[in-house]
Amino acid sequence: MTLAPQRQTGAAPQPSTAASEPRRRPGAGAYPWAMSGAVAVAVIGAAVSLNGVLRGWAWFLPVLTTILVVSLTMAGLRALRAQPLLVTLGGFVSLLFILIFTFFRRDSIAGFIPSDATMTSLGRHLRRASETVLSESSPVAPNAGIVLVTCAALGLVVILIDALALPLGMPATSGLGLLAVLVVPAMIKPQSVGLAGFLGTATGFLLILACSQWFAPDARVQADTARNPGQIKRAAMTGAVALVATLVLQLVIPGFDQGTFPQGSRLNPWASSSGLNPMISLGNSLRRPSGDGRITYATNATTPLYLRSVTVDRFDGEAWSPDDRNSSRRTGPGRMEVGHEMLAPEQVRQVTVVNTGDFTSPYLPVPYAPEAVNGLTGRWSWDPATLSIRGTDTNSRNQQYLVRSSAPKLTTELLDGSSAPVRGIPDEFIRPPANVPEVVRTTADSVTSDSRTAYEKAMAIQRYLRGGAFTYSLESPVQGGYDGNGLSVLADFLTQKSGYCIHFASAMAVMARVEGIPSRIAVGYAPGRLTGATVSVAGQGALPEFEVDARDAHAWPELYFQGLGWVPFEPTPSRGQVPPYAQDSSSGGASTNDGTNDGLLPTNGATPPPATTPDPLPLPGGGEARAGNQTVAMLYGAAGGLLLVLIATAPRMVRTGLRSRRLRGPAARTGQAAAPLAWAELRDLATDYGVRPLPSETPRAFSARLSSSPALRPAPHPNAPDARAPRSSGHLEAETAVHGLTTAFERHQYGRPAAAGPAGTAASPDPRAAQEIAVVRKALRRNAGLLGRLRAEWLPPSVMSRWGSLAGAPFRAVARGVARAGKAAAGSWTRARDGLRRLREG
Amino acid sequence: MEPHRRTRMDEEIVPGGKGFAERAAHGGNQLNGHKPGPLGPQAFRAASERILSAINTVIDGKAEAAKLALTVLLAQGHLLLEDVPGVGKTLLAKTLARTIDCSVSRIQFTPDLLPSDVTGVSIYNQSSRQFEFRPGAVFANVVIGDEINRASAKTQSALLECMEEHQVTVDGHSYKLAEPFMVVATQNPIEMEGTYPLPEAQRDRFMARISMGYPDKESEIEMLETHQATSPLARVTSVVTSADVAAMIATVQQVYVSQSVKEYTVAVGRATRDSAMLRLGASPRSMLQLLRAAKATAALDGRDFVLPDDVVAVAESVLAHRIILDRKAVSTGETPQSVIRGVLAKLPVSQEMTESVHASRQARAAELRPSR
Repeated sequence: MTLAPQRQTGAAPQPSTAASEPRRRPGAGAYPWAMSGAVAVAVIGAAVSLNGVLRGWAWFLPVLTTILVVSLTMAGLRALRAQPLLVTLGGFVSLLFILIFTFFRRDSIAGFIPSDATMTSLGRHLRRASETVLSESSPVAPNAGIVLVTCAALGLVVILIDALALPLGMPATSGLGLLAVLVVPAMIKPQSVGLAGFLGTATGFLLILACSQWFAPDARVQADTARNPGQIKRAAMTGAVALVATLVLQLVIPGFDQGTFPQGSRLNPWASSSGLNPMISLGNSLRRPSGDGRITYATNATTPLYLRSVTVDRFDGEAWSPDDRNSSRRTGPGRMEVGHEMLAPEQVRQVTVVNTGDFTSPYLPVPYAPEAVNGLTGRWSWDPATLSIRGTDTNSRNQQYLVRSSAPKLTTELLDGSSAPVRGIPDEFIRPPANVPEVVRTTADSVTSDSRTAYEKAMAIQRYLRGGAFTYSLESPVQGGYDGNGLSVLADFLTQKSGYCIHFASAMAVMARVEGIPSRIAVGYAPGRLTGATVSVAGQGALPEFEVDARDAHAWPELYFQGLGWVPFEPTPSRGQVPPYAQDSSSGGASTNDGTNDGLLPTNGATPPPATTPDPLPLPGGGEARAGNQTVAMLYGAAGGLLLVLIATAPRMVRTGLRSRRLRGPAARTGQAAAPLAWAELRDLATDYGVRPLPSETPRAFSARLSSSPALRPAPHPNAPDARAPRSSGHLEAETAVHGLTTAFERHQYGRPAAAGPAGTAASPDPRAAQEIAVVRKALRRNAGLLGRLRAEWLPPSVMSRWGSLAGAPFRAVARGVARAGKAAAGSWTRARDGLRRLREG
Repeated sequence: MEPHRRTRMDEEIVPGGKGFAERAAHGGNQLNGHKPGPLGPQAFRAASERILSAINTVIDGKAEAAKLALTVLLAQGHLLLEDVPGVGKTLLAKTLARTIDCSVSRIQFTPDLLPSDVTGVSIYNQSSRQFEFRPGAVFANVVIGDEINRASAKTQSALLECMEEHQVTVDGHSYKLAEPFMVVATQNPIEMEGTYPLPEAQRDRFMARISMGYPDKESEIEMLETHQATSPLARVTSVVTSADVAAMIATVQQVYVSQSVKEYTVAVGRATRDSAMLRLGASPRSMLQLLRAAKATAALDGRDFVLPDDVVAVAESVLAHRIILDRKAVSTGETPQSVIRGVLAKLPVSQEMTESVHASRQARAAELRPSR
């Protein structure tokens, strides 16, 4: 009952469309502005959630101007009653102009007209952006390239939403565009989209829906909302499907089963090497409370043992990554040697047996400094400068090996006495980074102002970092937007004074470099826990077994002292164990951790459920897999999933779209083409339910066949005469509907053209066709079996055969061409033969 | 010799002596000068139903044949009834003629029938001292030609010429025939000895050929009861005037034929010419007649436009007697009717898909225009 008035209001303006066009012109009024405003609000809301993917807020202003300029341009064009295509085109042009104006003002003509220089500059920006995306972890620095890409993407989203909501008349579908924006933070940021972003997006989306309802200039969009009484049912269905999809999808997509989307393991459920930047994955490994990537080792060492995978020694650039000197790598870790002079009077030799289990990385975790590694399978190579061991054709999964390592027995005196100038190591360990932030330099200078020797300086820095001013926190870098690495992150860290091992280690390494001490960052594992078991090792007897897992992932600085080699320090409070030579005489063992790693877990108490997938610790990336990045991979994954869903639902969506366009499109409403459109729909409908129209059939013959077919006329049940009555009434209704559609089509198709389109019939919108189609559809659905119904709705034969014939068209054309060529060849051969024969005879 | 007899002697046509119009030989209910306008759908339907029900009271179980006969009448064609003796060919023709208030003449064709018996002859009138035209049997609204294949070829062609031209030319004078004018000829396929079967070229002049076929059991029993005492023909009275019929014919002429139906009709003809089973396909004239018959069918169905269905409905009757089967087709047991059916079953209904595709394209274009 509630339908009637709405339908009337919807239909009322329709009859006067042609006549009232000029009169309504000034009345475009608020509608375009309101719609564009709503779109802008939605997109801005979605953009807010990008904070955390991009660091800080500096990027927001250009994004804001882009969105506003594009949406206002489109609103203005629409207010001038431009063609929808023109409006969209205008959106693109305005996007282009505002992007050029924002980013390439100096490289373009008059500030917004692109020129050669603009293109060059654009190439540079895009290169920068792709480098950032490939190499950095979130949050990335908002450099011009990234912001440009963001602005362009959001501008396109504005145009997309606008196109969906207005000319295409699918305001609800426009949420797809917003989703495209929200997916990025949802996948990348640990705290997901965030409340502000979500609220902003939702508000904007609701505004879009509301505006299209309130302001819709014609009945088309308005009528959408109250088209039929099945609305609630359909809404419930949609909701249920969405719910199921969200529940199922997250199981299907690897990595979704945890709240904070651990990076690196995603799309990589089979635990092959992920080739990621160790600096990126380290923080995530630490935040993961489950014990993945468990490694056990047994050692005869008396001091706690750090297992080291890789080093980071170049501190330039936006992001740091392990430096692979591929050219200088040597094969065979059976015998390794340090590349520098070693003057320490006493060497401590250790034997360690490591079992890597399912820990997967191209790099091998070994105690420093390895002299020989035996028992490995596959081919391995080692870098003389850093002694990192990497598989050339294999990885660390399920390796058991014996490492013989030796380290000088270091004492405070030895270190303090090592004052000889540094030589014999590559320059890249010595050279301070080019653009050290001021805060790092000043901090380093002030901390080490009282120190004379290198050792004192190192101790001063370590003391400064371990002191009470800094707190160990896995969360604050994320919240503060400086989770990651790089010099700018370091600056943030020194200001915020909160972070975890990567920050402490890099702070100490960079500050030491600044102060002239060669340094590098080692990445690996802090000493683990005793398992209580023992492992018997040949020649060593039973050795106690230790275990480490992802939670023990660690980074620490190594400083070079001439004659003593690389000396590890421990600047991270509450982590690892401070070696004896680096302990302050004053604070002594107070800060020494007892080795149980109690302080490892984040203190926020909220413990996400343990991961169910075996999750390898994605440690250092090899050269062959460097290009891979989890963000890109994730986006590909999401896109792939969406694509699959799209492919699965495409036939149905195409079919539904076709139907609604035929029955409720403007052409159907003006009445000019309503009958043939409805007829085409009837034919397709019948095709879907197995009554395929024959090409030689007249409309009447087809409709007669349809009416008498079992698809529409069910065989009466012999045992249930009472069940026949309602059935036959529905069937009669459907038959009448088919007859009505046929008659209307015949009149249109074969009748006098003057009679088909007089003003009287054309002006009144004819809802009959849609109703009749609905009746027929209902009857067909009722009579079809479950399979038939499913096929008709999800794989409609009408759509499938059309696609099939489309797909076959090129082949048919080729076949025709071949046949024609064959015929021509045969003809010319016959002619030639005849000519020859005639020649011979004549 | 009186080869024909008038069924309605009270209105016997006598050339009006001095008043005899030379170029319009007066015969039957000639509608002088003024053409009747087309009827409205209700009037048309009422008239046609009256005729059909009147025929059906006489001939049991032959509604299809009756309808086709009326169709041919309204399409201004001529009908060839071909069947074994005694199934009611002549009865149908007579009944059709009787239901209409018009003149009917019947010619029993025999080998010695002369062309002048059909067309009429100029006789010198002694008293008035001039030649007078004495119209032949063909000067009637409905002319029934019984066993047309028994007449000589010369006489046959005289009649056929009248059928085509709707006029008679004697001694250099042309006399217009009555309107409406329809020849219903019967032909007996059995007992062919000493007959002159109509050649293909002449069969082509008949719009349609009907085989009556035997009535079904109930109809036959019914016939035995009702036809016992009196001739059913006696009960038939005219239900429409010839002016009504002329108006109906005018209505049929107004029926609209869309381009796609024209194309379909032509496609049917071309398909018969291309058919491998036919030695001779349908002629262009037959296309004209097919479309006219289709128009009449449409009008009888209460429509003012032709559907492909109308073409299909009459195609078999209109085309089957004009085509000649190939020897191979004959040997495989094909009949002209089955070949026509096969051709129609393979022929795509013209333009339907492309037009609806076009319409949907229009709809899409309209969608992209600014919303009003």
